[in-house]
Amino acid sequence: MQQTDSTQVDAIRDQGRWMMRLWRHARAPVVVAITLPLISGLLLVAQAYLLASVLHRAIVEGASPHTLLTPVLCIAGLLAVRIGLAIVAERCGILAAERIKFFLRSASHATLLDHRPDWTAARSSGALSSAIIDQIESLDGFLVRFLPAMAQAAILPLAFAVMVLPVDWVVGLLFLVTAPMIPLFMALVGWGAEAASQAQAAAFTRLSGLFADRLRAIVTLKLFGRAESETRSVMAASEGLRLRTLAVLKIAFLSSAVLEFFAALGVAGVALYVGLTLLGFVDLRLSVLTLQAGLFCLLMAPEVYQPLRLLAAHYHDRAAAKAAVAELARQFDGLPESAGPQAILKPTSDTHSAAPIAVDMERVSLHTPDSRRLVIDSTSLLVPAGRHVALVGESGIGKSTLLEAVARMRAFEGTIRLDGQDTADVAEPELRTRVAFLGQRPRLFHGTIAENIKLGCRSAGDAEVHEAARRAAVLPFATQLPDGLDTLIGEGGIGLSGGEAHRVALARIFLRDPGLVLLDEPTAHLDAETESQVLDALMAFAAGRTMIVATHSAAVADRMDSVYRIVGAKVLSGPHVRAARPAVALRSVA
Amino acid sequence: MTALWFFRPLFQRHAARLAWTLLLSVVTLAAGIALLAVSGWFLTAAALTTAAASFNLFGPSSLIRGLSFIRILSRYGEKVFGHDATLRLLADLRGWLFASLFPRVPLADRSLRHGDLVSRLTADVDALDTVFLVAIGPMLAALVLGSAMATALWVFIPAAGLTYAVLVGLAILAVPVVLILASRRMGMELVEASAAARIAVLDGIDGHADLIAFGETGQARASFAASAARLATARRRLGMAGTLAAAATQALAGAAMVSVLWFGIATVHAGTIGGPSLAGLLLGTIASFEATGAVVRGVARLGVSAAAAARLKAIATAKPMVNDPARPEPLPNGDVCFESVVFGHDPRRPVLRGLDLCVKQGSRVAIIGPSGSGKSTALALLLRLYDPQAGTVSIGGADIRTVAQRDLHEKVSLLSQDSPVVLGTIRENLLIGRADASDAALWHALASARLADFVRGLPEGLNAFVGETGRTLSVGQARRLCLARTLLSQAEILAFDEPTSGLDREAELAFLADLYTATAGRTVILATHAALPLGAADHIFRMVDGRLETA
Repeated sequence: MQQTDSTQVDAIRDQGRWMMRLWRHARAPVVVAITLPLISGLLLVAQAYLLASVLHRAIVEGASPHTLLTPVLCIAGLLAVRIGLAIVAERCGILAAERIKFFLRSASHATLLDHRPDWTAARSSGALSSAIIDQIESLDGFLVRFLPAMAQAAILPLAFAVMVLPVDWVVGLLFLVTAPMIPLFMALVGWGAEAASQAQAAAFTRLSGLFADRLRAIVTLKLFGRAESETRSVMAASEGLRLRTLAVLKIAFLSSAVLEFFAALGVAGVALYVGLTLLGFVDLRLSVLTLQAGLFCLLMAPEVYQPLRLLAAHYHDRAAAKAAVAELARQFDGLPESAGPQAILKPTSDTHSAAPIAVDMERVSLHTPDSRRLVIDSTSLLVPAGRHVALVGESGIGKSTLLEAVARMRAFEGTIRLDGQDTADVAEPELRTRVAFLGQRPRLFHGTIAENIKLGCRSAGDAEVHEAARRAAVLPFATQLPDGLDTLIGEGGIGLSGGEAHRVALARIFLRDPGLVLLDEPTAHLDAETESQVLDALMAFAAGRTMIVATHSAAVADRMDSVYRIVGAKVLSGPHVRAARPAVALRSVA
Repeated sequence: MTALWFFRPLFQRHAARLAWTLLLSVVTLAAGIALLAVSGWFLTAAALTTAAASFNLFGPSSLIRGLSFIRILSRYGEKVFGHDATLRLLADLRGWLFASLFPRVPLADRSLRHGDLVSRLTADVDALDTVFLVAIGPMLAALVLGSAMATALWVFIPAAGLTYAVLVGLAILAVPVVLILASRRMGMELVEASAAARIAVLDGIDGHADLIAFGETGQARASFAASAARLATARRRLGMAGTLAAAATQALAGAAMVSVLWFGIATVHAGTIGGPSLAGLLLGTIASFEATGAVVRGVARLGVSAAAAARLKAIATAKPMVNDPARPEPLPNGDVCFESVVFGHDPRRPVLRGLDLCVKQGSRVAIIGPSGSGKSTALALLLRLYDPQAGTVSIGGADIRTVAQRDLHEKVSLLSQDSPVVLGTIRENLLIGRADASDAALWHALASARLADFVRGLPEGLNAFVGETGRTLSVGQARRLCLARTLLSQAEILAFDEPTSGLDREAELAFLADLYTATAGRTVILATHAALPLGAADHIFRMVDGRLETA
């Protein structure tokens, strides 16, 4: 238990360090954003001094407005300069923040894509996208406001106190003593706020995930008459978020109340001390206190606490940023340090790619994504180059899983070799060029049908796309569409039926020139007639290539050289004799 | 801005809390102004007094202490009240939005994408909830205090009162208006850029396997980088607009301060007011800028809120594809009949072209035909997800357009092709079908869908958690879970769209054979491309050119 606690503390400390390193991604603007407010703070002292002196001369000495014109104009000038400094500083702050957020988003997105698909499959897409978009956005306040505020809070109150010291040592001392106390109190209060803040960020992410999920299912929920109960559960989740957030905020506001207390104490204390000194009730000074000195102290009193107040106002930004960083680290199993190498574009032509590939699976074991259940148990299978093989077996038995392992799409134990080379050692671009894979749930992206087919090969010409569409039996329905292959289809293939969408995805394969073709249910959703058309095209394509197909369809299995059945976490050894295959026997029933 | 007005009723529900927030914030700011003003007055008066003994020390000093404590307490109360009201509003908004979505799905706007919807429900609602706290409240408070301060100045230094009123009025009203007008487009661009970036991420996640398989991750990275850069630019522009507006406010406030100083000196010199009054008024003026400064910070976010409100309103007021009749008729039991039904999502390209079908109560009918031939569409019409462009769909002689959708959905249950597994346990997924089902009924449904053995094998059984879109289940298992859910419902009419698409041939045949007993007494309409075993259906029709023929 102690062990986990200390590793957790280490993780939090590392995350804190990581946050403080972020500014290195935008050095120059960060330095400007931090320095200028400090200069502006020093100008403020001059401004307050001038103001006090003008009041002194007008009130005590009865100076005419005419003689005070110059100092009044000087005050106006100082104000203008300070406004100009503020504009430049904030501009630089925003610039730095956007640069850093852009870097983080790109790096996180790259990390996501660099993982295997089973990594993303085990996570909620709503939570991941929320991490990249919303959680990284939560760093904004920290970057733009908290970092400069921290510099101001560290330097300005002390600088102000030191500058007040020669004017009145008591007030200067009061500032010196109270100011450093404030961060101490704030740190105490901040701890609580931070812990609660993390709980809140996690709740927000869960809520995002819940929304994404329920929206996906909204039509089904409607049809089952669940509109009211689901609305209620969404409300309940939001209510939970409210209670948690409020708990965070109540603590966070305590820190600002502490500050408010000290600031008020400072102003009231200075006012009373100076007043009493002027009246002669208190006498701690060597010289006589002038109104100018008294007013200067009073004017500086709120300003001493202002940087701290600013910091307190943005303390929540820091807590939110820390929580966001923790969430980011949780979602991505770590934090991005660099953008990572840009994926190398795959070679456009590789003469070797078309050669058939032998697949050798040796003692391969596979688990479900949550690692709870063993799907395939230490199974070996050799598929000679150029052989066409079907994997059959009950749904959920592990056909897709095995296929994905061969395609290096998920983790497994054991070894899979392509032409004798361990897949783990094959470079990504080479692997993807030589191996074509069509999953069971291929995704259509927002765009035209032709664009979706071109995912197979970006450089394919219209004629090639047309031919691929023909072979995958896309044309019969595409030609019925208003814009043919240029018809816009939505994400997930909205507007196309399941079978149509699947065929569009299948067409991608025909644009490639792989040595190994891995297909998961290539003819799912197809009627017998279309299935046989597509099969003809597939078999023609697969000639001279190795092909492994996971299928339920007897028609598909029939066309393969050999059929392997997965039963009880094992691939039954050796190819089955066709006549003995139950799949064929059952077919006669149909 | 008009879109924000649309959400007025939701804000009104929390009017009391919002009013308290406003009151407390005015008290806080007023206490701050009074504290400095009294201090300045007291100090100057003390410096000028010649008879210290007769100086009333008690009044000002207790005022100073009292004001300090009022300020501390009211600030804390203001923050707690304000955030509580805001969070309640947030929960209301989400629930309300969800509730208004239900009658409107499937959305008529088929281009509206999932990532976009999620973005609307979370980020947009968040942008909207802070409107009062950071924009409207501070502006009202600044107006109240600005007027009070201007009046006080007017009484003592008329010229300064007038200039202060004009300058601070510009800072509170004109600067925000200009900022809103200037940033409206930027706000919209920001919300859109954010949604586009989210969609790019979701595309990468949902299509991860395809992107990797086709070596397209570089392309995906580039397109995400472009959308992230667009987002950064939008934020930078909006931030700059806010910075300039804040600078304008500061400049106006500075000018107001200098004018009070200048006219004040003249008034003191003329002997109209005393020195202590000038010091008090000047320090009060400086303190009053605390209220002014908060206005612009909030208004900078008003543009984002308005854009978010417009998008939310667009969803919430979208015309539903189907409407309940004004006076719903009761829905009788009886035969399901399609008569000369014509329908196409694009009316120029109808999928169903004069479909006729009559299914006797309690009988089983299968519709076969190639994918895309209109089988799913016919079933969607039976559930009234859409209304036919011509012809009628009726149950027991009643046109389904004359009955309440709720009654219809209770009577007819559909297993659609894209039926989803939701985030939650297996039990929660099943209970969607029938909320009050017993465990025995759940196991029975699982057995009928041939999933019982699998669930029994899981360590947590019915309470096993299944991830988003059922990704911890295989496609076939997810499909069977949805099937079990449909079987569990007590609907008298069951419509199955490719119920066996996740099953292998053996399981498929067994399921179809079982269907007869599993659905005994209920009307079944089965759309499938599977070859049917004998006895699976009483009648089999084939979909050809948008019409049915006996197969």
